[in-house]
Amino acid sequence: MIILANIMSATIIFAIPLLVVALGGMFSERSGTINIALEGIMIIGALFSCLYLNSVSVSGWGAANPLLAMFFAILIAGLSGLIFSLLLALASVSLKADQTIGGTALNMFAPAFAIVLTWAIQGQGQTTIIIPTWVRISQSIFGLTPSKTPGFLETFFFKDFFLTTPIVLLLLAITVFVIYKTKFGLRLRSCGEHPQAADSVGINVYALRYTGVAISGCLGGIGGLAFTVAAGSGFQSTVAGYGFFALAVMIFGNWKPMRIFGAALFFALFKVIGSYSASLPFLPSFTGIKNSDYIYQMLPYIVTMVVLVFTSKKSRAPKAEGIPYDKSTR
Amino acid sequence: MSDYVVEMLNITKIFPGIKANDDITLQLKKGEVHALLGENGAGKSTLMSVLFGLYQPEEGTIKINGEPVKINNPNDANALNIGMVHQHFMLVEVFSVLDNIILGVEPNTAGVLNRKIARDKIVALSKRYGLSVEPDALVEDISVGMQQRVEILKMLYKNNEILIFDEPTAVLTPQEIKELMQIMKGLTAEGKSILFITHKLNEIIEVADRCTVLRKGKYVGTVNVADTTREELSRMMVGRDIQFKIDKAECKPGKVVFTAENITVASKHHKNNAVRNISFDVRAGEIVCLAGIEGNGQSELVYALTGIEKISSGKLALNGTDISRSSIRQRSRLGISHIPEDRHKYGLVLEYSLANNLVLQRYWEPEFQNAGFINNAKVLEYANKLIKQYDVRSGQGANTIVRSMSGGNQQKAIIAREIDKNPELLIAIQPTRGLDVGAIEYIHSQLIAQRDTGKAVLLVSLELDEVMNVSDRILVMFEGEIVGEFNPRETTVEQIGLYMAGAKRDTPSTGTGTIEKTKKQEMGVKSKP
Amino acid sequence: MMTKIRKFIQSPGAASFLASVASICIGLIFGYILLAFINPSMSLYGLGKILFAGASTTEKFAKVLYQAAPLMLTGLSVGFAFKTGLFNIGASGQYTMGAFFALYAGIILKSPWWVALLAAMLGGAIWGAFPGVCKALFNVNEVITSIMFNWIGLFAVNLTLSNIPLILDRVSANRTVNLAAVNKSAMIPKWGLDTLFGSSFMNISILITAAAAILMFIILNKTTFGYELKACGFNRNASIYAGINAKRNIVLSMVISGALAGLGGGIYYLSGTAQFTIVKSILAMGFNGIPVALLATSNPVGIIFSSLFVSYIQVGGEAMQPEFAKEVIDIIISVIIYLAAFSLLLKGLINRLLTWQNTKRDKVFAAGSTSVGDGQQNPQVGAATANKSESDGVTK
Repeated sequence: MIILANIMSATIIFAIPLLVVALGGMFSERSGTINIALEGIMIIGALFSCLYLNSVSVSGWGAANPLLAMFFAILIAGLSGLIFSLLLALASVSLKADQTIGGTALNMFAPAFAIVLTWAIQGQGQTTIIIPTWVRISQSIFGLTPSKTPGFLETFFFKDFFLTTPIVLLLLAITVFVIYKTKFGLRLRSCGEHPQAADSVGINVYALRYTGVAISGCLGGIGGLAFTVAAGSGFQSTVAGYGFFALAVMIFGNWKPMRIFGAALFFALFKVIGSYSASLPFLPSFTGIKNSDYIYQMLPYIVTMVVLVFTSKKSRAPKAEGIPYDKSTR
Repeated sequence: MSDYVVEMLNITKIFPGIKANDDITLQLKKGEVHALLGENGAGKSTLMSVLFGLYQPEEGTIKINGEPVKINNPNDANALNIGMVHQHFMLVEVFSVLDNIILGVEPNTAGVLNRKIARDKIVALSKRYGLSVEPDALVEDISVGMQQRVEILKMLYKNNEILIFDEPTAVLTPQEIKELMQIMKGLTAEGKSILFITHKLNEIIEVADRCTVLRKGKYVGTVNVADTTREELSRMMVGRDIQFKIDKAECKPGKVVFTAENITVASKHHKNNAVRNISFDVRAGEIVCLAGIEGNGQSELVYALTGIEKISSGKLALNGTDISRSSIRQRSRLGISHIPEDRHKYGLVLEYSLANNLVLQRYWEPEFQNAGFINNAKVLEYANKLIKQYDVRSGQGANTIVRSMSGGNQQKAIIAREIDKNPELLIAIQPTRGLDVGAIEYIHSQLIAQRDTGKAVLLVSLELDEVMNVSDRILVMFEGEIVGEFNPRETTVEQIGLYMAGAKRDTPSTGTGTIEKTKKQEMGVKSKP
Repeated sequence: MMTKIRKFIQSPGAASFLASVASICIGLIFGYILLAFINPSMSLYGLGKILFAGASTTEKFAKVLYQAAPLMLTGLSVGFAFKTGLFNIGASGQYTMGAFFALYAGIILKSPWWVALLAAMLGGAIWGAFPGVCKALFNVNEVITSIMFNWIGLFAVNLTLSNIPLILDRVSANRTVNLAAVNKSAMIPKWGLDTLFGSSFMNISILITAAAAILMFIILNKTTFGYELKACGFNRNASIYAGINAKRNIVLSMVISGALAGLGGGIYYLSGTAQFTIVKSILAMGFNGIPVALLATSNPVGIIFSSLFVSYIQVGGEAMQPEFAKEVIDIIISVIIYLAAFSLLLKGLINRLLTWQNTKRDKVFAAGSTSVGDGQQNPQVGAATANKSESDGVTK
């Protein structure tokens, strides 16, 4: 039973970054810009927020105010991701450049920049930014004492509880509301479906597309932080392809927030299964094969491909995405 | 105090390389229906876009109710109560009718949408002006007629008083056009003023009070419609007398060149078939025309004939050879040529040179290649021959990148390529779409020349004038079936219109309709003769 | 003379070249600014290394050439895909597969070098087929597919290598065994080039690569196959209409692209000087093919030069250590790619400027005759015709 709690907890922990980044991708694409740069945005968000966490940990303030420090870290992650994403917005919306190439450039920039900056700050060769342990929310915050042999509920909730989890779930709720029930959401969606129509009723398509990309940058940055705390071994200038997984989640979720949530859980489950393969008797354990965990590491990627193959034909992407909007071609 | 509600005075609008509007003056009286007439490229849409704030004029002034104004964007236009229904509807397909109407003027409290207020207002407007719509239907599911009513409601919702219609009848059936004319009369009765852009003389005669004519960006004149004739209007429009009826020799059909038997083609969007059990043939020396409103299966049928889509059942034969399962290349080799409906999307590779486009259907032939290597010299030679013969004009001759050529010349290139193959069957789909009268005349003459040399021509067209003038035999398609066959000399446009709308049919119906089921609800028509 | 110069500047080739040069300069300037931020006192030293280290000794220059060869191939791979309308971001995975197939052939099957290279091409081709098929048959975006397969390839190769003990070095078990010790015939021959250039690094790989570039050029510009591939890349619908099998061409294009990248992997690891290491991250050689292709606008001949450039600054980057991280070079390269996204725009602008000139000239010709007028001048009409056809037939 405890294993089940472990698995469920781990699934949620890994689904959260997928969820928030995919929601970010959704905002961007719904407004009309394909955001391939989510990977890079995640790295930038993680980079700056982890540097912050590290520094407040060293100063001691962090350990004294863990929730507040984490909250600020989330803000920093979102802000740095947002600013970075403006580079993509500039290229795609204002300059109408190729969105895939622009995104790829940012994806190559981010990890290199992270390594260089980390080197510069921590000294040569120190490429990992350690994350302090107090980011993990423990029972003591709620006034409970952790038990020696935690039961199902305790494991499920407190094994890996980070502030990013409830914040992201809150963002999900906000997203659903904003997209479908607000003036902003309606206008944003119109820019991604039929920018000429939006323009003809006086909507500023450029401004909304910038906003869409900026939101994706903010959410992507938060996702980077969420990924790093979930991965647990500190920030190592990579997010292992999560930015692309998030795109697959977004496609699988047909650009709808609640579906994306389901898709994120689905993918996260596959990632987690690998780590627990030893404890789950019904999974093959490949005892004869060396380094067999590579098989399970491949699994999420393979599953992604299979899912995409089956869903891409019927997917209904925002109609005008990827096409730069040019007033003069009305 | 002028009784002009809109005055556009001495408007000049320049785009890089052309003067779209050259010192044009247009005045609209309150409560009138004013037509703006001109061929493609005359500058009508540009002028209206200036009025609507989409473009800014280089020179000239605009006055609304006597006051000079500056209209910098659609918001300004809207503030002046000017609204516009565009030729290609500005509707978001995945949104509901209601969401489309409120887009840009959403009733809200602190950003949160208040759809109820909007709904009430829309229902009220709908009743008052007789514009029936379903507020919660998605635009992609409703008929074209209802979509247009949504566009009109958009304007009324914003309390627009000055209504601009850009080629509103392009996609409507004759019956829907009549309804629209009625709606327009109703609107002016309520005090609205209407400007409508068209190149269809019949509509002007029917509904407009006055008409302003533009030609090649310049103002030609304004007339009272009651005092003029179709001939005079068209002379103003093109600057010369134009033939309404094409002079052509009597049709002398020969042997059957192409047969389609019991063709059924599946639809990509509905579970019903797009083409249902169609049979027809085309003989040498005749032009057969498939007429009908867009969306009744013509596109799918043509894709099936050319090989782009597969037929679900039936048989296609060219000169006796069964081509039902042949590939596009094979059909082309056997003698089918075709001029596609969208020259940019299907007919040309815009980034290629003119020469490369001219051999697009023949580059694999031994004349042009040897063991897989292209003989560029031969390609060039062939291209130059075609350019000369068909008078295709371009900046750098055979090496011009096709994207930079004008639409008329691009279409000429396609026609040159397809006709020079000396096909047994030439299929032409909307060959004159978007072209001006001179180009249209040329293309029609080419089609007739083909037919006179004994070839078979299959024409698919939405323009009733073209259908009546060019073809020898008309087959009307409705909901995937052929519902009537006509000799253009023995029938009228109105008759054909009835068949196109499904109000009449000669063949018994084979079941429930396929395409746009709400279109049928829309017409309020059952398929009984 | 002036008109000749003006004509040259106006030609699209010149526009691309100038744009690429501009991208490079801006990239280097950005790199310098970054260096200045990190360590102002050493920044000039760092810049100096980037600019000059590659040419400082024959040894270093040989390294430039030796690293340029596989880079040229991944550049050709990405460039070939670009020309046919696809973005092959999966060159890394194909490169890795190629390396694996080559090493397996060389070490386990004891094949001679040219067989191993063919195996490398096969491995890359297979790996390139996956994104091709997914795109052609299932309409899955090839970028996502390629990235997924980069990772799948990495893990699959690592897994397989771990389980073939013979292929691994006895001492450090996460590397492949030294080729020279196991099968000399698998090493790419030198044919005297090492003495010519005075470095043991040199072998005929540069010749193989040049041959590949020339072959690609011929295919793209002189064959019906190339004609079809480019047509598909420019306008898939029109090429289907012309009877071209677009699906087959997409797959073939990716297969060829993959084969090129795979060949790159084979060339690098069969040289005998590098041993394949089992690592956790995707090999950079594949990704660096992207700027190589972009800088040369996918022109095979241009790729020869751009790969030399990228290899050159990479050698400089390594020389910069330990004062600066060599990743600074990756930053410079990413800036170049970012700017390359605009250079396409710039070229487009220049082209459009030229075409408006031409249509004006066109009108002067047409004014004299009563045949087809230029009905397409009004931009709205143009847009109207282009947008009007709601295609319900041919898929994207």
